[in-house]
Amino acid sequence: METGDEINICSDNEVNDYYGEDANNTDCNYDSLIKEEDSLDSDSDSPVAKKRPRLEGPPDRNYKVLKQSDIRERQEKTIAEVAMVLSVSKAVATVLLRHYNWSAGKVHEAWFSDEDRVRKNLGLLPIIEFPLDSTEVKCGICFDLFPTRDEIVSAACGHPYCVECFRGYIRTSINDGPGCLMLRCPDLSCSAVVDQDMVNSLVSEEEKQKYSTYLYRSYVEENKKIKWCPGPGCEHAIEFDDNQGWDVTCACDFSFCWNCVEDAHRPVDCETVANWMAKNDDESETKTWILAQTKPCPKCAKPIEKNEGCMHMTCHSPCRYQFCWICLGDWHNHINCNGYKEDKRKEVEDAKRHVQKYNHYYERWAAHNLSRLKAVSDLGRVQTEQIEQLSEIHGKTQIELGFIAEAWQQIVECRRVLKWTYAYGYYLPEAEDAKKQLFEFLQGEAEAGLERLHGYAEKEVRQFLNADERSVNFEGFELKLKSLTGVTKKYFEKLVRALENGLSEVQEAGKSYMEEHCISYFEICELPN
Amino acid sequence: MAASQASLLLLKQLRDLCKNTVDGFSAGLVDEENVFEWSVSIIGPPDTLYEGGFFNAIMSFPSNYPNSPPSVRFTSEIWHPNVYSDGKVCISILHPPGDDPNGYERASERWSPVHTVESIVLSIISMLSSPNDESPANVDAAKQWRDQRDEFRKKVSRCVRKSQEML
Repeated sequence: METGDEINICSDNEVNDYYGEDANNTDCNYDSLIKEEDSLDSDSDSPVAKKRPRLEGPPDRNYKVLKQSDIRERQEKTIAEVAMVLSVSKAVATVLLRHYNWSAGKVHEAWFSDEDRVRKNLGLLPIIEFPLDSTEVKCGICFDLFPTRDEIVSAACGHPYCVECFRGYIRTSINDGPGCLMLRCPDLSCSAVVDQDMVNSLVSEEEKQKYSTYLYRSYVEENKKIKWCPGPGCEHAIEFDDNQGWDVTCACDFSFCWNCVEDAHRPVDCETVANWMAKNDDESETKTWILAQTKPCPKCAKPIEKNEGCMHMTCHSPCRYQFCWICLGDWHNHINCNGYKEDKRKEVEDAKRHVQKYNHYYERWAAHNLSRLKAVSDLGRVQTEQIEQLSEIHGKTQIELGFIAEAWQQIVECRRVLKWTYAYGYYLPEAEDAKKQLFEFLQGEAEAGLERLHGYAEKEVRQFLNADERSVNFEGFELKLKSLTGVTKKYFEKLVRALENGLSEVQEAGKSYMEEHCISYFEICELPN
Repeated sequence: MAASQASLLLLKQLRDLCKNTVDGFSAGLVDEENVFEWSVSIIGPPDTLYEGGFFNAIMSFPSNYPNSPPSVRFTSEIWHPNVYSDGKVCISILHPPGDDPNGYERASERWSPVHTVESIVLSIISMLSSPNDESPANVDAAKQWRDQRDEFRKKVSRCVRKSQEML
């Protein structure tokens, strides 16, 4: 009720203002921190340090992964620095830093321009000794009289309270949550802070610990340049340094957009993603329908469950019909089905058309998402089982077989990009026909390349896994998988670049762009077999 | 230990209020055996819509009073933007401190252990004189107070009359 009214919630717009100052962390980059972590945490199950195959993009060093010890160290360093420069206690420095979102620069600036004002606003009052003339002191909470000052405590303001009452006041506040970091003198007209030194002098170890945990968390939560990794169970935080490309990958291997904290969604912007996710929530009924895991075979109508990542389906014997999971079209004539073909019939209502359009994009978005998750688990299996097995059978070192994992990493990354291009496609204005054509062309090329790579990586490898001895075809497999990986990567880089440029090539080159710039999809089919 | 501290403090306040009565309200225990449940009669403040009314309320104190606030519920019918339809009073000083984790409320608006029965009741009397319609507990009453003051006045008068009949 009344309590809610004055809480200031930082709006997203403020994010852009955070990068002005406090650039004291340029000394180490992402890689070096990860290495450091490896050496420090040798007992924990190895924090994943492998580099993801990033599609050409901003360098990794625009963000840093911070683990618990990094955060504590920085927090302590900042507090010590401010305490020293301002000649105040660490507890006072902490109050100042919390108020200025842990930016030492801002604290210094405010303090040196008007110390009195800062002190007054934050309740950092000069210490007042309370009068010695009275022999008895009355506690402001329990109204009992105390004969000596030994049993009385106060913040800097000097309002007297007995130790018991003040301890109860602090404890209640600590047990109520992080609000205890803002604790003030209980007197109604007084704003004197109750700082960490005072808290620590009165409460138990357990409560001190709780207080210090809130303080630790506030370093990340109130710092405008650091956010917790939203990965499940992850306790790392990510510090972001500049604003070119929001996607970050934590040491726990979780990728997310630093700006909106959704799953990583480059090259699609945050607004599109937010709209898309909100739309998906609205349309949960259709979603349930789409998410149903089975579809009838378009030829024999037997229900089929998709159990592999690639969209190329083959029905069980005796049907053996091969079709595309998404459009249910015959696989033999299938190049791609990414383009949305509008139903031109006039009598079709707009509403129905919208649902159909949404379903088209949602289905593909969801399918590529599922396919990505499957690929992530397959990648794990490739790394733990397949490579070892193949190395035994075919006499290759595990390093020589690295190309298989690389192919799978590429698949995972491409599925992610492809998934978000369907959110992009949904919002692409229908009137911009040339852009739509270019987009669907690039997306189609990329998707076809990826299906080929995914299918090949998934199915072709089996004959080598089941082989009893070294196979002469293995070299061919290696060559083709590598080529498919490379070609797919190129297609996706082109797609990402085009979307990030807002498909601006259309204005420059018109339709001839496709003829001039694009390798035909069929060229990659000519690769060695 | 905490409970005994709370009961001692409440007993002390009860004694003080009996000795030095405060204009505008009277207070006592609902049940002589239980110092945590108080019965308060508030006189509608003069020069307000509530003038002439006698409104009864129950104050329930938690065992960790004064570290946590009591809850206050009118047992008399009352029409006011900051009183829920079940009579529960909603003012910022009665919110547990944890409700405002960021501490953006001014000190004078938060619960603090220095509050006493007297200061709480005085806050309620001040609430009767000046409703806060920005974060209402009773949305209908708040709307009426803002847009149809005459209707609001009628409804309050009915409550005042009713409270007099109950005497």
